[in-house]
Amino acid sequence: MSIFIISSDAREIEENIAKKVAEAMGYKLLNRDILATVAANYQIDTDKLSEAMKTTPSLFKKLPSRQWRYYLACIEADVLEKLMADNIVCQGLAAHLYVTDVSHAMKVRVLSGNRQGIQTVAEKRGISLQRAEKWLASELLQRKKWSLTAYNYDETDLTRYDLVINLDQIDPAEAVKTITGAAEYRKFQVMTYSMKCLSDLALAAKVNGALLKSMADIRVQARDGSVVVLTRASSRQKRKKIETIKALAGGVEGVSYVEVHVKKNILKETN
Amino acid sequence: MGKIVAQKVAQKLNYDLISREVLLDASSRFNVPEMKLEKAIHDAPGILERYRHGKQSYVAYIRSALVERVIGGNVVYHGLAGHLLLKGIPHVLKVRINADLERRVAIVMERDKIPAPDARARIMEDDKQRRKWTQSLYDQDPWDTSLYDLTICIDKLSVENAVDFISQAAGTEGFKSSEKSIQKAKDMSVACRVKASLVEEFPNISVTCEYGNVLIYIKGKDQVTGKLSKKLDHIRESINDIHHLETHAGLEPPPDAV
Repeated sequence: MSIFIISSDAREIEENIAKKVAEAMGYKLLNRDILATVAANYQIDTDKLSEAMKTTPSLFKKLPSRQWRYYLACIEADVLEKLMADNIVCQGLAAHLYVTDVSHAMKVRVLSGNRQGIQTVAEKRGISLQRAEKWLASELLQRKKWSLTAYNYDETDLTRYDLVINLDQIDPAEAVKTITGAAEYRKFQVMTYSMKCLSDLALAAKVNGALLKSMADIRVQARDGSVVVLTRASSRQKRKKIETIKALAGGVEGVSYVEVHVKKNILKETN
Repeated sequence: MGKIVAQKVAQKLNYDLISREVLLDASSRFNVPEMKLEKAIHDAPGILERYRHGKQSYVAYIRSALVERVIGGNVVYHGLAGHLLLKGIPHVLKVRINADLERRVAIVMERDKIPAPDARARIMEDDKQRRKWTQSLYDQDPWDTSLYDLTICIDKLSVENAVDFISQAAGTEGFKSSEKSIQKAKDMSVACRVKASLVEEFPNISVTCEYGNVLIYIKGKDQVTGKLSKKLDHIRESINDIHHLETHAGLEPPPDAV
């Protein structure tokens, strides 16, 4: 086993479980502490990255959609790069939404359960049980909205996880034991193919980050160093856009071939 | 897929495995054809059925038979709606097994010897009925994760891995039966028996039971009529574990009422 991706409907519980799983397994914990490094690598303000992880684009918050997507792409590229190393517990970086088809990454969702969740939040935040309940409900709605806007996936959809544990009656320590018990399962062992899938994802994320810095409406797929970029442009801009994409993507380390597919941008065409 | 996992868990823990037996119990005890019970637990009520309350009665019979079966503990139940019918008994571990649609299609194709489009359509229809059934009778979404203690996706994990997870969770402190949780199961069994005796004639009643003290909640405008009084006298005599029986008209039943 090399990667555990842990998420929860209550941040406090998610942090607690991830920390304990990392301790029990002797794995490295990857959490929002890396945002400072990401910010330094891409010369972005750390607070802006933290903000992008919490909120959806909004003009009132001076966070336009293109910038927001670029920030997320930077985080995603860095997280995927770090996940290439073995034995990691990842939490709080939305990896459960973009690490797809990597068989050695086990995605676990821990549900706070009514009793346990409200109590933990009330204790950690020093608020009443009623306020904690309201806070949890609004937080869940916000996370659902965020995940759908950012990755078009609903993070409350249980089919996205390998294992979902409800803490209503299961003690957190028992949950940790159950999760760590899976480390020995053959299906979660690192295979050459699963490692290749992860490196393809990491390369696509790097190219995505490089392109989103200067343009929007980009989708990137990578396979063995070959990169396919899907975008939109008007007939007039098409050639120039292809050249720019090829130049930018070709400059990313590990890219050997770039193919660009352009769809007509009907709106710009009409203008 | 759930059936195989249930069989293996029962084997590993040396528990009894029950599924169709519940319907047979309910069928013989309440004198209803098994087919009708199976339809009641599988298909969502139609518009007319919602007024006739037939399905509600059948579900009450099934629930009573199921609670009776699990009261002794050490049981693995595999079947529809177990997580809803046994809700409220603390030492019941509620597990959901998920599989990718294509894998489910392959299983149905092999089991029912039908082509892929038919298998897919059958699965979609089943899921639609399940959702409608749960929403109409329990006002909940069957895909809501919070209804289960453990949800296991069988795509990446093997059946054996799922069995390990379940067996491990079953051994944890939260699911060990205690004097209190056994009492709760016994009380639920009494409440279910009372409800099953009344539901055909009085479909809108709700029942709770605590240490043998039964409270029957009657909807707003309904009154304790002579017919109900007679029925209650009969219930007092026929169900042994009732210490005291009381009716409450016009009061909102608590959420754990059956």
